[in-house]
Amino acid sequence: MKKSTAWFIFTATVSILGILFFWPLWKVVSGGFWVDGRLTFRYLFGVFENPIYVEGLFNSLKIALGTTGLAMLVALPLAWLANQFEFRGKAVFSSLVLVPMILPPFVGAIGFQQMFGAYGMINTLFGLGPIDWLGGGQYVGVVLLQTLSLYPILYLNAVASLANIDPAMEEAAANLGGTRLRRFFRITLPLMAPGLFAGGTLIFIWSFTELGTPLIMNYTRCASVQVYDSLKEIGSNPFPYALVMVMLVVSTGLYAISKWLFGGRAYAMQSKASTQSASRKLIGMKGVLAALPFALVVGLALLPHLGVVLTSFAAPGSWYQSVLPQEWTGGNYLEALGHDMTVSSIRNSLLFSSLAVLFDIVVGIAIAFVVVRSTLRVRGVLDAVSMIPLAVPGLVMAFGFLSVSSWLSNLKVFADWEGWQNLVDVRTNPTLFLVLAYSVRRLPYMVRSAVAGLQQTSVTFEEAAWNMGASAATTLRRITIPLILANLIAGALLTFAFSMLEVSDSLMLAQQADYMPITKAIFELFQLLGTGKYVAAALGVWAMAFLTTTLVGSSLLLGKKLGAVFRV
Amino acid sequence: MPVPITIENVTKNFGANQVLKGISAQIAAGELFFLLGPSGCGKTTLLRAVAGLNEPDGGRILAGERDVTHLPPHKRDMGMVFQSYALWPHMTLRENVAFGLEMRGVKKAEAEPRVRKALEMVKLADRADSKPNELSGGQQQRVALARALVIEPQCLLLDEPLSNLDAKLRIEMRTEIRRICKEAGLTAIYVTHDQKEALSIADRVAILDQGRLLQVGTPQEVYIRPNSRFVAQFIGETTFVEGTVKARGKGRIVVETATGDWEAETETPWTEGRTVWLSIRPEAVRLHTDRQEGANLFTGQLHATVYLGEVAQHAVALAGGVILKALEMRPRVVARDDERAEVRLWINPGDVQVLGE
Repeated sequence: MKKSTAWFIFTATVSILGILFFWPLWKVVSGGFWVDGRLTFRYLFGVFENPIYVEGLFNSLKIALGTTGLAMLVALPLAWLANQFEFRGKAVFSSLVLVPMILPPFVGAIGFQQMFGAYGMINTLFGLGPIDWLGGGQYVGVVLLQTLSLYPILYLNAVASLANIDPAMEEAAANLGGTRLRRFFRITLPLMAPGLFAGGTLIFIWSFTELGTPLIMNYTRCASVQVYDSLKEIGSNPFPYALVMVMLVVSTGLYAISKWLFGGRAYAMQSKASTQSASRKLIGMKGVLAALPFALVVGLALLPHLGVVLTSFAAPGSWYQSVLPQEWTGGNYLEALGHDMTVSSIRNSLLFSSLAVLFDIVVGIAIAFVVVRSTLRVRGVLDAVSMIPLAVPGLVMAFGFLSVSSWLSNLKVFADWEGWQNLVDVRTNPTLFLVLAYSVRRLPYMVRSAVAGLQQTSVTFEEAAWNMGASAATTLRRITIPLILANLIAGALLTFAFSMLEVSDSLMLAQQADYMPITKAIFELFQLLGTGKYVAAALGVWAMAFLTTTLVGSSLLLGKKLGAVFRV
Repeated sequence: MPVPITIENVTKNFGANQVLKGISAQIAAGELFFLLGPSGCGKTTLLRAVAGLNEPDGGRILAGERDVTHLPPHKRDMGMVFQSYALWPHMTLRENVAFGLEMRGVKKAEAEPRVRKALEMVKLADRADSKPNELSGGQQQRVALARALVIEPQCLLLDEPLSNLDAKLRIEMRTEIRRICKEAGLTAIYVTHDQKEALSIADRVAILDQGRLLQVGTPQEVYIRPNSRFVAQFIGETTFVEGTVKARGKGRIVVETATGDWEAETETPWTEGRTVWLSIRPEAVRLHTDRQEGANLFTGQLHATVYLGEVAQHAVALAGGVILKALEMRPRVVARDDERAEVRLWINPGDVQVLGE
């Protein structure tokens, strides 16, 4: 690749990332510190002096720690079992444990409440009184729901880390007399620590700033909900900015720590594993015992989904103080199809997500090309920068985009131009900002996929094409893209799926019914009295089916490499 | 149309590392020219500079009269065979071979027979619709050759084309490559680190080391008359004996060494007293000689022998601690372990090459 071309792409992509990523972040930072033309720390300190904000931050931290810890407890034993043993049903279970990813946890919350609520399925089934399983403050419910939805990220990281460890490491320990359990704690666990920490960081950041689940579970005293509630005052009140700023610092701080701890010295295996992993075949009772934890976790993780499906088929009001709905109906789906908000939300989500995918494909390929194929010294910087969106919570980005939008729509220069408001004011039409928000937050998946594809494709294929007389553009079209197509499709599917699932940006940026994506529509429907909850569940089932298809597609294309996509 | 290639004082740096230190060479039209050297000598860098895959920092490269130094690779018309073959895995053989013609805007009707002919030439016409991964290494190598040849390049470039093949196939293929090049009258530049490959099929060989071109000549010239110790030991086996020039006669000098005085034929006017190295090829050592007097007669002890059946490779210890390599057809005596048979040997002064560096 020519140096001048490389520099051009580098400058262009860095500018795009600068505008789409650092500008909103800057708005967040400056909104809390730069008030009335003066630098002030009043509001930052104010956050910590206000007991309500302190409680919110503390509760968010509690949610994040609880979720991350619980996810470790769930994912680690499963990954270890999958790595060490062969047993009947392992293949099925190892794909089933990923199923929770097809549904944002807040949708699952709808079904969850039906089952674990005071008058829900469990209490009726076991003839218990109106016990509130979700705990008075709903804390347990939030943590449980998020764990059941996020543990796959950690599981994938753990499995990938385990697979990377040369079995000879463990064999050497066994040779020196280490028992299976001691080998795990003394050899395997330290070796997989970087992968675990990476996955744990993602889960921590995700659950620390998760908005949908606490909203549905009515756990309002946490920082994310407090930010959401203060959106109306975004123009006048610097406190929400300062609060978002604190969340940003915690998240990126944790990300930086994980990079600092493990970035430079991930324990690279000195040799490719020369032997197959020494997994032991378990038959009979032992095999069943090994499969049991998988069955348990999958069963638990699918409960919210089951709840949503049941709710979607329940006649409104018929699932109360009963094990199952007492009256079944397909009416919720019919009503969903007839509902203006539902139909337009599906259309909107498809449109926003497709545009985001297009954007990410172009930018992602360009970045990957510079990272893999150029000799620029700064290419590492581009690689690192394009990964940062993983570390910045969606809530923070959404907040930043909101204030960018409000700044742009107040520009005097364009005051007379009607189209301008339609373009940049999210209160009028959030299309532009939703597409950009989706794009920038899912860009890391696309970059990772494209980088992996290019790294696996020898540059001599491209050189041979030039040698045969193909220009750079022809080579890209005829040789490079066909060769990395599987990676591109997989990256595109993931980008698409996670854009469809996106919660924070969708809840915060889409304020007009005409422009609501699916997640926001589900949330709005849920809040409607009467049939709202049931129609919301029907829409949730539709989204689940859709996302299952795309995720199964991408995992087939990527094979076992799916885990690599979720690494920091 | 094949054209001569001129390389003028080409330099190339990778960071602080100068990998080409001013290389010049003239390759005639229709010549099979070899770049030979150890890994890291710069031979592949030079070839890639000719192909346009990297740009020289200094100097010029001419294809015929045309300066192509800064021309992008796709405008050069030089077919290249890559070490890894670089056959596009998503295309059939036919599509791989046709690609270059397509890029040149050759009509389908005209391209088809040319592609078929190219595949016939490498004996793979019946596999035209296979994908590269269905072929063996040798077959892939031949497709890579057909792809480079079908465009009738100004110059064919081969980057260690046989290094991924097994020994037997390598020997078959190198003769095949020479036949194809000569039949088409191609100018070809061939990079290898295998001196046997170079000696067996090259018209001329250029020997490179550490970014410098040390010697250019026909295979016989570089083997029999190497111009430096590096060339002598890189091409074939040899023993060096260090000494000083003691006397000079017409076309002949006497060199004093630790093993005694040697006579060597040389055209170079070596000054008396100067340090030189004598290079003696193993096959030039005549063991068990009947000669009783004359120059270069020595007595040594068989030090070790590698017995290979038709020949034996001996190491003979001479006076002054010099171990001379000697090759013997139909070996008579084989030294094993502690045996130290005494042996008389003679080297024709015409077979002793005098080297100044």
